[in-house]
Amino acid sequence: MKRLAVVAVLLALTSATACGGGGGSAADREGLYTTIDALKPGLDANAPINPYNPKGNAFLGYNAQWLGWTKNDLTDSDQFYPGVAESWKIAPHQSSITINLRPNGKWSDGAPITAEDVKFSIGLAYTQGGTAYALDPSAAGTASDIKIVNEHTIKITQSAKNPSNSFVQGVMQTFIVPEHVWAGALPADFWAKLKLAQSTAPGADAARAEITSLADKVIAFAPPKDVSAGPFTLARMNPGEALLVKNKNFYNAANVAPDKVKILNYTGNEQIWNYLISGQLDNAPFTALPADVMERIVQTSGNGVVQGYSPVGNALAFNQSKKPYDNVHVRRALAYLIDRKQVTKVASPEGGVAALTTSGMHQKAAEAWLGARFAALNPYRVDPAQAAKELEAAGMRKIDGKWTMPDGTPWKLTINVPASFSDWVAGAKAVTSQLNDAGIDAQVVTTADYPLYLQEIAAGKYDIGFWLVALGPSPYNIFQRLYGASNGWQLFGGRLKHVAPGKEGNWMGGPETIEVKGVGKVDPGELAVKLNSAPEAEQKKIIGILAEAANQDLPVIQMWDYVNTQFVNTTRFTGFPPNNSDTLRLTSGVWIQLGLIKRKQA
Amino acid sequence: MTAPTIIPGAPGGTRTTGGARATLRRNFWRGVGRVLRRKPSRMLGVIILAVFAVMGAFGPLFYPAQLPRDNNALYAAPSLIHPFGTDFEGTDVLALVITGARYVLLTGLITAVIAIVLGTGVGLFAGFRRGRWDSLLMRITDMNLAIPGLPLLLVLSTVWKFTSAFEMGLVLGLLGWGGVARSVRAQTLSLRERGFIEAARGLGLSTKHIIGRELLPSMAPFIAMNMLIAVTGAVYAQVGLFFLGVLPFEANNWGVMLNLAVFGGGALTTTAALPYLLAPLLAILLLTLGIVLVVDAMDEIFNPRLREE
Repeated sequence: MKRLAVVAVLLALTSATACGGGGGSAADREGLYTTIDALKPGLDANAPINPYNPKGNAFLGYNAQWLGWTKNDLTDSDQFYPGVAESWKIAPHQSSITINLRPNGKWSDGAPITAEDVKFSIGLAYTQGGTAYALDPSAAGTASDIKIVNEHTIKITQSAKNPSNSFVQGVMQTFIVPEHVWAGALPADFWAKLKLAQSTAPGADAARAEITSLADKVIAFAPPKDVSAGPFTLARMNPGEALLVKNKNFYNAANVAPDKVKILNYTGNEQIWNYLISGQLDNAPFTALPADVMERIVQTSGNGVVQGYSPVGNALAFNQSKKPYDNVHVRRALAYLIDRKQVTKVASPEGGVAALTTSGMHQKAAEAWLGARFAALNPYRVDPAQAAKELEAAGMRKIDGKWTMPDGTPWKLTINVPASFSDWVAGAKAVTSQLNDAGIDAQVVTTADYPLYLQEIAAGKYDIGFWLVALGPSPYNIFQRLYGASNGWQLFGGRLKHVAPGKEGNWMGGPETIEVKGVGKVDPGELAVKLNSAPEAEQKKIIGILAEAANQDLPVIQMWDYVNTQFVNTTRFTGFPPNNSDTLRLTSGVWIQLGLIKRKQA
Repeated sequence: MTAPTIIPGAPGGTRTTGGARATLRRNFWRGVGRVLRRKPSRMLGVIILAVFAVMGAFGPLFYPAQLPRDNNALYAAPSLIHPFGTDFEGTDVLALVITGARYVLLTGLITAVIAIVLGTGVGLFAGFRRGRWDSLLMRITDMNLAIPGLPLLLVLSTVWKFTSAFEMGLVLGLLGWGGVARSVRAQTLSLRERGFIEAARGLGLSTKHIIGRELLPSMAPFIAMNMLIAVTGAVYAQVGLFFLGVLPFEANNWGVMLNLAVFGGGALTTTAALPYLLAPLLAILLLTLGIVLVVDAMDEIFNPRLREE
């Protein structure tokens, strides 16, 4: 009888456990927000809670905080939502920024967030380098002075030697960590060493080397527990998910709707698709997907799509040190042969729109900067007759229906893409199919992975490759993709030089000067660098010239502009950003901490 | 009870007259026909392999160099025009499978030839000579067996693009001869103690003659079966590498098709790209089935014990 009772109890326990397992009961899910982190594919349960560590279990917007959160704007990269900073004041020409912290701001362990914490965090940032924190005194846009005004105010001054328009953004995107937890990560004499490193005094080189050598130590630093300024702290990690719980000391805790956040592990897009189809995710950031999968995802109860501007474009980039791509007529001919709409339909039907033309910019940003001038650019509509004229102008010959080099030798056009980017592979295949139809012997060659692809493209191993362009909103960053280091313009110590094709990462191999119709001869690299410090009116003028130069000279042919397509599920939470919201490029964590996300009322 | 079939070139068969040879050959093919007829599945195996051979040899000739595309039928469902639907570009999937057969089969064949030639050579020599040669060759074989094939291929693919079937087959063959060498050596060690080899030695025949004319013909069926099995291994290996996306893109490569169906088309998530996934899978399955059925028939043809049952 006793044995029977034990068996009955065990059975009851088993069934209770079974009912409570799986996806969790409704009670368990109450207040639980589930998502993935686009920056962290493949969670590492053993990684430190360290925002500087690429695998670290510090999730941006959740338990990792910047001073401010950049708004998604077509032209202005200096608009922010408050993060650790409550407010800020930017001096004219970005000569300095004064950050005000919340007087009652607290870390998750109850300690106050002070200006000392910000200064210490800036020290850590110096070990990692970056726009605002370069050790080289002549580098553009670097902070030269950090002054604590009072316990909750800190002023950061930009070096006047080589000012940059990206200084403020560099400062606002500083991770802020608690000094009382991270104290061991920097040596006691760090600030003295930094001062020496930023000077030209004897010993400066050694000091710079010493600070740079701290980078690995900072990346490996493992705080004993998660002390966060964000709305959550890390409670548990396993290879399948990270569980974060609400930080009661967060300044806006009353408006943080979820009690817990679960960040799920993923290693490929298919996993995200399956999470979405099963309705598990409250939000998933941009994920490439085919049309049929999109259709399936939106059929799930509560699932919806939010779309917005994404300052990223995809282009076919030429290595102009290789023949016949050194000839502008050949590049133009290819532009006239490629049907970009068809390529986009095949490659990125849900996450992209065909580029209207090549300007170096996303079409929305181009319209905002150029206005009517954008419409005046050559759209390179599909025109095989014009393409044939251009190829003939380049001296290419058509023999037995196949285009050959001017000397009659075969012309094999090869497009390289990383194998892991299925949309790029499909796009490249669509381009080669169109070119083969037109009598150009074209093929796609894949490279095993993206890091190797970048390494090989930089080494000049490819004739043509897919290349991300238009990386805004800063116009300087946008045109660096066309007329920056990869095309021969190197900025050293504030001085610009043009290196020969095939040297020092110059794989695009374009000419140093370009003849632009109606403008004359221009040095596009020099103009691109000027964008870093020019006032807005001058920026507009320079962008106009560079867009025309890109359109006429075609160092790349833009294929499609990405659309920031995100997924939300309104079954458990509401208040998600609408289409074209300026928060769409920020994480769910930021939406939550700003109080946008609300629990769905029963 | 089956009529006795003498393996061409087998012990005793080497010194027959021309007429007797022709009779032997006739008897052999009659035996083959009988074995195939006994189980229709074996005939099916032969037909399958013949179809694949035709696909490999002439498949690309059935289609234009640039396969037609239909921009309005991306991932189209199976129909009479497209029995396995279309791919991401609107190209007929069946046409892709047929035109892609050549690379896959040629690679498999080259791999098998290299693995068999090397493995048989090493195994025969080591088993017959024994002693120091045996030890040396078997240590080399052990090393070959110990090489982790897939990781090595993944690393190699970062520096070598394997654009031709010969390159791919060469690498797979060089990695895959160890098992054959071990088996052939074991067979050789067993055969070398048999009477007809003793007799050949007693007659003072050369090592070349004994290995080439006495030992090798006795093992030919075993080697042939190993060769067919090596083809399947090579097909799996190369398709696997293409599936992982580490080898160059060829739209009609079966592994690339699998990769694009899963990662580009979401074939494991929705049904649109499922035929695109299933077509190359079916081709691999059929090829393996054909080989297994033919090996089964060969087993009976060359194994007297099975033949008499």
